[in-house]
Amino acid sequence: MISKFREWNSNRHAYAKEWKNKTGGKVLGYFCTYVPEEIIYAADVLPIRILGSHEPQDLTEPHIFGMFCPFCRDCLAQGLKGKYSYLDGVMIAQSCLHIRQAYTSWEKHIPTSFTYYLPMPNNVQSPHALKYLTEEIRDFKKALEKWIGKELSDDDIIRGIQLMDENRLLMHQLYDFKTQENPPISGEETMQIAITQQMVRKEEHNFVLREFLQNIKSNKKNTGTRLMILGSENDDIPFVKMVEECGATVVIDDHCIGTRYFWNSVNYTGGDPIEAIAKRYIERPACPSKDWMDRKRIQHLLKLAKDFDAKGAILIQQKFCDPHELDIPAIRKAFKEADIPTLFLEFDVTVPIGQFKIRVEAFLEMLNEYDLF
Amino acid sequence: MAKEFWRWKEYNWKNDEIDWKSGSIISAGVDVGSVSSQAVILVDGELFAFSNMRTGSNSPMSAQNAMNWALENTGMTLENIHYTVGTGYGRVNVPFANKTITEIACHARGANKMYGNTIRTLLDMGGQDCKAISCDEKGKVTNFLMNDKCAAGTGRGMEVFADLLSLPIEEIGDLSFEVDEEPEPVSSTCVIFAKSEATGLLRAGWPKNKVLAAYSSAMAHRVVSLLERIEIKEDFAITGGIAKNSGVVKRLEKELGIKALTTTYDTQIAGAFGAALFGKALVEKERK
Repeated sequence: MISKFREWNSNRHAYAKEWKNKTGGKVLGYFCTYVPEEIIYAADVLPIRILGSHEPQDLTEPHIFGMFCPFCRDCLAQGLKGKYSYLDGVMIAQSCLHIRQAYTSWEKHIPTSFTYYLPMPNNVQSPHALKYLTEEIRDFKKALEKWIGKELSDDDIIRGIQLMDENRLLMHQLYDFKTQENPPISGEETMQIAITQQMVRKEEHNFVLREFLQNIKSNKKNTGTRLMILGSENDDIPFVKMVEECGATVVIDDHCIGTRYFWNSVNYTGGDPIEAIAKRYIERPACPSKDWMDRKRIQHLLKLAKDFDAKGAILIQQKFCDPHELDIPAIRKAFKEADIPTLFLEFDVTVPIGQFKIRVEAFLEMLNEYDLF
Repeated sequence: MAKEFWRWKEYNWKNDEIDWKSGSIISAGVDVGSVSSQAVILVDGELFAFSNMRTGSNSPMSAQNAMNWALENTGMTLENIHYTVGTGYGRVNVPFANKTITEIACHARGANKMYGNTIRTLLDMGGQDCKAISCDEKGKVTNFLMNDKCAAGTGRGMEVFADLLSLPIEEIGDLSFEVDEEPEPVSSTCVIFAKSEATGLLRAGWPKNKVLAAYSSAMAHRVVSLLERIEIKEDFAITGGIAKNSGVVKRLEKELGIKALTTTYDTQIAGAFGAALFGKALVEKERK
């Protein structure tokens, strides 16, 4: 069953192209998970997240500063290489400047019939943020309507909300299994499911995930040391696999591929559906680029670690990812006080598996093997 | 053939006061590092024999050679050893090892025995990397940091400098203090860039010892920042080849404002020593 998710992930471009051929629909690439996919689903467009390939490249030097994060450079490289040539449009919701640079370069050098910059407020804690985002999403809806040549009714929007919320609910059911002792799902498998949330039509993802959940109890149990992974964008499946091969089980995460993407729902109960969507994005577990004036993430992270019984945490930072870098000292301090040891690793486009392996092994030895002393 | 100034002394040693045949647990540790390899044999936790040699291009062979050399003239063979733990960069390439454990855990464990259980912060200055390790009174790691990305501030860098300046590696520590005044550190500790800078300084007329002082000082400065990130608690000790280099050690102590513990053991065997101690604990665990 997990094979379907793995297949989707490995053949992400083929999947999107096939969907396009089959349905005649439009595919919209997006750069950040603050993009309200509810509206895009309402328009029957396929939203897919633009991701990197983890291969060395030299195409982005003229377009992005070397001290911008490897993820934004890797994403843009995919566009410049023509890997996403099937996209009908690209968009972003404001999060950090690095990924915005990837978007603006893309817009300039890779023409599509639709581009959109959604000014998602950074100060989500402001009392005005909800009103602001509601109107911005309304403007986005209008732009989308113009592009597809069709008006979207409230019912369309509500359909989009329900589809997204159903997917979120199923993900929560999946993660519930990860709270178990020796969970029947590994971190690598979880990441395959989480990453494909952002590249496959939600109807299909829901269908396969529901079936997966029905059979999950018979899966192999994962007995490794329970770890949390958190930090910058991370879709590095070989890394998670390596960590688990060293004797760990990744039981919980805080990444925008992972819990940050699906953790809260719209829960529409009436009224203005656009405002309900805006509320969801204002209140979701924040990216650190939006987690101020108060740093609200820490309590959320500690609760995740506790609820999932993480014995240690790996703090992942894409090199030069300033928002996450700023968070690291505070996270380290809070985790130390909660008696959860942390291991900090800095990611680049390609990850030096050997150098990371020794750190991970030593970290696991530190958490275990008390009987040898 | 030109003289190889980087070449440090390779040797083996055995403790004639121990009768291994009357020992209950014979354990071994093999540390295949990027530059040097060591094999340590313990009899009931006491140092019985060891070897210290250069790592070749073939890791399994280096492990085997180090072990054979440690066993030389002891009357012991590989079959007499109850448990062997492999560690170091080439730890998965110790064909006769029963288990592998990282050098981070092994250095802490070995240092605990070599320097005493008061040690809380350890700096392993290895051939191609540097590790700052916090540990408890049992020698168990409580935190660690490794230098990232480059080999600056490591043994290999010092070897390159010994060759560049045509000064024997075992003497350069003391020579680096034979200067009129302490120079500014070289600005880059990247081995290649530092070498370029040093070449420039020599051309500008600097005496060799002064260049050496500038490089040793830069190396000390670099590892201080690693140690500060992990928070140094005393007692403090240094393991690895650079622990033998007074030029780096004294400058490091001065910058930190604390003295490093010293030991009568060879500082390069800490990893293999720790691995062998883990081997002993694993035998005890099995026998329980």
